[in-house]
Amino acid sequence: MNRPLRSLVVTITVFALWELVGRLHLIAGRAFPPPSAIVADWVQNADVYAVHIAATLRSASIGFIIGTTIAILAAVVFVQVPLIERISRGISITLFAVPPITIGPILVICFSGAVPQIILAAITVYFPTMIASLVGLREIDPRPIDVIRTYGGGSYSVLRFVRLRAALPGIFAGLRVAAPAAMLGAILGEFGAGTRWGLGSFLLGSLGQANPGRIWGIGLAATAIAAIGYVGFGIAGRAVLGRTTQVTVAANSAPDRLGAGPGANVAQRIVISLAALVAPFIVWWAVLAALELSPIIARNPAATFDYLLFAEHSAIARAKLAAAFSTTLPAAGLGMILGLAAAFMLAALSVLRPAVARALMPPSLVLQTMPLVALTPIIVLIFGRDLAATLAVTISVVFFPAFVTLAQGLATVPGAALDLVRAYGDRPIRSLFLVSIPYSFPYLFAAARLVAPRALLGSMIAEWLATGTGVGQLLNASRGQLDYGMIWATAMASVIVAVIAYQSVTLVERFIIRT
Amino acid sequence: MNAEAMPSQLKSGASHERDVLVDSVGRRFTAPGKIFTALENVSLTVERGEFVALIGPSGCGKSTLLRLIAGLDEPDDGVIRIRGALPEQFRNRGELGIAFQDPALLPWRSVRRNISLPLEVLGRRLSEYKDRIQQLIELVGLEGFEDSTPGQLSGGMRQRAAIARALVTNPSLLLLDEPFGALDQILRRTMNLELQDIWMRQRTTTVLVTHGIDEAVFLADRVVVMQSGPGRIVEKIPVPFARPRDPGLFRDEEFHRLCDRLSTLLHAGDSHR
Repeated sequence: MNRPLRSLVVTITVFALWELVGRLHLIAGRAFPPPSAIVADWVQNADVYAVHIAATLRSASIGFIIGTTIAILAAVVFVQVPLIERISRGISITLFAVPPITIGPILVICFSGAVPQIILAAITVYFPTMIASLVGLREIDPRPIDVIRTYGGGSYSVLRFVRLRAALPGIFAGLRVAAPAAMLGAILGEFGAGTRWGLGSFLLGSLGQANPGRIWGIGLAATAIAAIGYVGFGIAGRAVLGRTTQVTVAANSAPDRLGAGPGANVAQRIVISLAALVAPFIVWWAVLAALELSPIIARNPAATFDYLLFAEHSAIARAKLAAAFSTTLPAAGLGMILGLAAAFMLAALSVLRPAVARALMPPSLVLQTMPLVALTPIIVLIFGRDLAATLAVTISVVFFPAFVTLAQGLATVPGAALDLVRAYGDRPIRSLFLVSIPYSFPYLFAAARLVAPRALLGSMIAEWLATGTGVGQLLNASRGQLDYGMIWATAMASVIVAVIAYQSVTLVERFIIRT
Repeated sequence: MNAEAMPSQLKSGASHERDVLVDSVGRRFTAPGKIFTALENVSLTVERGEFVALIGPSGCGKSTLLRLIAGLDEPDDGVIRIRGALPEQFRNRGELGIAFQDPALLPWRSVRRNISLPLEVLGRRLSEYKDRIQQLIELVGLEGFEDSTPGQLSGGMRQRAAIARALVTNPSLLLLDEPFGALDQILRRTMNLELQDIWMRQRTTTVLVTHGIDEAVFLADRVVVMQSGPGRIVEKIPVPFARPRDPGLFRDEEFHRLCDRLSTLLHAGDSHR
């Protein structure tokens, strides 16, 4: 049987089994509807779906255009003036690590209409686009630069003749990852925004209806749109560039750490690091000052620190926050470790059985783009509303990107190194442990850095939507009670925790891999 | 040839005859914990229309010297002047042509647009150079491949495109850093003959860095032998053969005697190995 025919047969078989299982309520009772029920809901309510999809698509597209434009311009500025990049590193890492769900309520306080969704979509696309563009602009063939300098060309000529064009594959790879991220940002922005239209509002409104077909229908529709964006930018990239582009953002390209690069002396490094650390707070303060919002709802850094440290009820606030994080962090940490371990084992298995990797890679590439909000209610339907649900959501948001990163890492192992082991007896297990796993270590850390903020976000979403515990619940409750101080404090604490988690992975990596 | 050791050369009125002046140049690189002397007290002049070959073992600083002349790097000691100007000033006038061991072509540009790159960097009007570019493409034998991208060309063809690019500004000084180093021996011979052809027509002052002894002797008016540890010039040997030199020269007895002499000089610093 040829390949397309075989995959067609596999697809039909999968759907037939799903239909059978769903009809007979073999898994999770009625929470696992057959595909026909989902399709029926789409068809019967096509007009409702269309309105919600249009609203989300609109916010996501506007946010996507704004966020990616800023990201590409920022990358160009960063590559031309490295000092600005170093000073902005704190802002970049914050934007990477910030759980969007925590700034959603803040944006809803400060803005109205579709603006919160648009800003959140722009924030979620900024980092992947910026980092992919920066890597593309920076990692260029150095030899043509000598040619350009020989004719008196400076950094502007290098940018114009080499960097911008050489960065196109990277930029397209970034846009490809950013497209589904914009969907996620827009949907998260609809949470608590109180807007009537949008897939996020649709999902929230359908949670109480005991209609699994609807929940699945919304989740699958959101996933499909995200996947179309992901695949579409891949096709567009190939059409423009005429050759294959990278499938994901380069694994090792996440920002390294706060601080100066080489060539600076100790005093300069300290100043630059401090500037990088302070910059996010300055931006926070400056944006609020520029917006001229009421200080009662828009708390600047000073007011937030005051709320947490010195104000009348600060001890109570601290206790609430500590209790919430002591619930969320273990769940997020455990989910992240389990998800990474599963991804690592499957990636290792796929070295021994390459057919496994071939089969799993395409769905994993698409599933890593799945908007996790849409996924959560489905998991809740299956796993219930306790810790298991939080863990299941966290694991599933960690697993796919980790697997993609690790499988790519294992694919970079030089063939000669494997041949060397093979020359002393063909034992695949041995070459796995002697060669492949050590080689893939940097990718394990890259994966850990990539998924640490996602694990935190996954846990919070599960807590907000399902379990009613931890930081997710604290955010949701503070929003309901208009406890502005707590909303800002929770957001700040979440960002700080996420940045610390991210930096810890980097520290452990430096300790283990000394290169 | 002793003239170039004279300290008074900077004041010399005959500078219009002298295209390249390198006077007591030193260049050091610092690696963590140690200092590496790439060049020490190197002096060299190249007359207008002369073809000079720099030859020496790896690490003797011959490529560093070429990069200093191109203004891609700056010396720690000494002075470099190209037609009386600093290398950076000279190259900004667009009078320098350069080719490296790697053709360093931009993979997304066609052969024609790669050749025109220096003109674009210099901000010149491409329309005025249409004929010149076509002539160069014919000169290096790439007719019919004008619109091919580097990925569609063989290694030798790419290197020819790089040479055409080096010539496009009609340079008064041509710097070649092992331009045929990555080619096989047969192709290299062919390219040597072609380069001589091109050079005979233009008589551009040329500095060629190579580690091929026969290539140096076949092409150059003068071979400059360098040694490493620290990088320095040990000998400058004129090559007496009349031009045009034909492939028969490679079998000439006198040619081999000269190659042997160079080989002995090159291995003189080898005793410790």
